[in-house]
Amino acid sequence: MLEMDLNRFETLVAAYGATPNRWPDDERAAAEAFARADPRAAALLAEADAVDTLLFAHRVAEPSRTLRTMVIEGAPRKRRLTGRARLWWSGLALALAGAGGMLAGSAATAALEPISANVQMYSHEDVPALDYSTEETTL
Amino acid sequence: MNPDDPDGDLVRRVGEGDVHAAEALVARKLPRMTALAQRLLGDRAEAEDVAQEVFLRVWKSAASWRPGAAKFDTWMHRVAFNLCTDRLRKRREVALPETWDAPDPQPLADAAISAEQQSDAVGRALAELAPRQREAIVLTYYQELPNREAAALMGIGVDALESLLARGRRALKARLEETDA
Repeated sequence: MLEMDLNRFETLVAAYGATPNRWPDDERAAAEAFARADPRAAALLAEADAVDTLLFAHRVAEPSRTLRTMVIEGAPRKRRLTGRARLWWSGLALALAGAGGMLAGSAATAALEPISANVQMYSHEDVPALDYSTEETTL
Repeated sequence: MNPDDPDGDLVRRVGEGDVHAAEALVARKLPRMTALAQRLLGDRAEAEDVAQEVFLRVWKSAASWRPGAAKFDTWMHRVAFNLCTDRLRKRREVALPETWDAPDPQPLADAAISAEQQSDAVGRALAELAPRQREAIVLTYYQELPNREAAALMGIGVDALESLLARGRRALKARLEETDA
């Protein structure tokens, strides 16, 4: 516990008032002990208490609801889609789905094309007749 | 912000875009910031402007806020305090008209004086204090900042803060007794 004398107690009360909660943490216990032990402390505390009462007579109105609303409106918030953005994203999703479908369709067509092309390229008429006479058979 | 910061979790959630956390932070801090600015500036409209500006900075900083030495409440006080002192400096740069005179003090004699009248009288007495005395009293008494935080915010030592507080209290008492006489 720090030392406390009349001089320091007087300074403390003149600055921080009569309420011990407002006194500096590291001096509070010593000041409270001094106040209990020294009869001169009571007059100082009474004088300070009168000023405290005056100070705390001052009131400030609570912030208005309008101010609260304006302040909260500026707060950051998780990205949530607005109606317009939702519509835009739906449109994009539909477009992508359509594009995907077209892509899948064309890929499927592309996969089939060589067969049909081959079929066309090698139509029945164009297929050369097999010349078995030149065929060597090895058994 | 430090690990023991009572606002730390709330600020982190605000930074993540949690609107409920933002509402809770506003409920907790807006009255404090408005009261600080009103007592330093003596003007409600200006105080509300300052409080809004403080929160704009909070919203911008919340996502990137990292634990550090200062508590979030102290950081908010610093922002608000600086905004108020900037406004007060600009006011002093504007010359008062020659015909300007301080308003007459209102009497505080009636024993049955209403709480509102008493509050107004104290408000006027506060406004007439020397600016540094007013800052010391507002930060220590109304904002309830620990003496070291209040002193650091004002850029002075604890001894100087105590001196300003004692002189401010004496001046306030004298002013109210004068209006009471």
